[in-house]
Amino acid sequence: MGISIRDLEQFLARAADGDMDAFGHLYHATSAKLFGIVLRILKNRAQSEDILQEIYVRVWERAGDFEPGRASIITWMATIARNRAIDALRRDKRHDAVVDNFDIDQLADHDDLSVADDAERNDDLRQLEICLGGLDDDRRTMVRLAYLDGFSRAELAERFAQPVGTIKTWLHRSLKQLKECLGS
Amino acid sequence: MTDREDIDMLAAEYVLGTLDSDMRRTVDERRSHEDDLDAAIAGWEKRLSPLNAHYRDEMPTRDLFPGIRARIEGARAQADNIVEIDLLKRKLARWRIGTFATGALAASLMVAVLVSDFATPVQDRQFVAVFHRDDTQPAFVMSIDLDTRAVIIRPVSATLPEGKTYQLWIASDQLGPAPKSLGLLENASVPTTRSLGEFDPALLRNATFGISLEPEGGSPTGRPTGPAIHGRLIPVEH
Repeated sequence: MGISIRDLEQFLARAADGDMDAFGHLYHATSAKLFGIVLRILKNRAQSEDILQEIYVRVWERAGDFEPGRASIITWMATIARNRAIDALRRDKRHDAVVDNFDIDQLADHDDLSVADDAERNDDLRQLEICLGGLDDDRRTMVRLAYLDGFSRAELAERFAQPVGTIKTWLHRSLKQLKECLGS
Repeated sequence: MTDREDIDMLAAEYVLGTLDSDMRRTVDERRSHEDDLDAAIAGWEKRLSPLNAHYRDEMPTRDLFPGIRARIEGARAQADNIVEIDLLKRKLARWRIGTFATGALAASLMVAVLVSDFATPVQDRQFVAVFHRDDTQPAFVMSIDLDTRAVIIRPVSATLPEGKTYQLWIASDQLGPAPKSLGLLENASVPTTRSLGEFDPALLRNATFGISLEPEGGSPTGRPTGPAIHGRLIPVEH
């Protein structure tokens, strides 16, 4: 990888000082990662490209808020992207959002984890996967559909043919079990 | 279920993404002044974010950066002379560090704005700052005239919780690491005027102002302790 996490942090720090060129470097080094998140959630390329622009405007505005000790820069940016994509998804659901007719599998899970930031993150992921493995199959699928694809309670209820209240109960039990398993 | 569990599950579902639009908005609003909830969200982000490794990189069909740049610069041009608060982030970060040393103040740091030397033409002598809570509704509008050194704070939609008061602060490198109180805004429904004659205009131009919510009688510690209000400074048109 030609660009290190440290480089990204420096681009962001310079962007916080108003350096647009540094922000451009940050964009080009991270846009594929963030776009992958947004597209998988929104499943519409045109809308995803619009939202991706909003996300980077937000990253620019919040550049000075990033605290390296709290999360990695990639996680910090990914969190902004996921939040914005889910907001857009929830908002537009009211108007029957258009879903591109592309192969969803193309975006679906890949188990090649070369993209993980570093060894520590790989450990975190392994631990989380072990804990997810302790959930019943349905509930594990539910957690993944929610986190990775942006399924709402109502959409999960439809997918699993259960009342929304039941889904909420299952989600809460699963999340508590995960928290306990992760030991924090 | 205890309140703590409720908050933890709300945070968990917020991060998981399963809440509806209204609930998400409510959480966004609440976390800015509920430290428990904000900390619980951070905890769940830490627990679940390793799943981000399952997202596959995807290239946008075209380079979107020119569009992003245009949005950022367009927003500035549109507002004409707006002094972007992001240029002041550094200053705020320094203040934050100084204040954190006292241990009292959360990341909620209020802070607001100020007269920056960056993008501000030197002839500007009058500025307006709009203080937002949660970047939504304006709560206060502050105007400052560097010639008379008078500050007027006008409440817009600020409401005062019982037993609380708003307190105005100034921070500047020349005043030391901690913000200095400029007194209380006794009444949240009428304008308050303050003379800043004790400060020279050059100091004011580079200072940062903030408004915090404090217990009646003002901050017990002499430093801002309550939730923050943010704002941005706009030079008044000549």
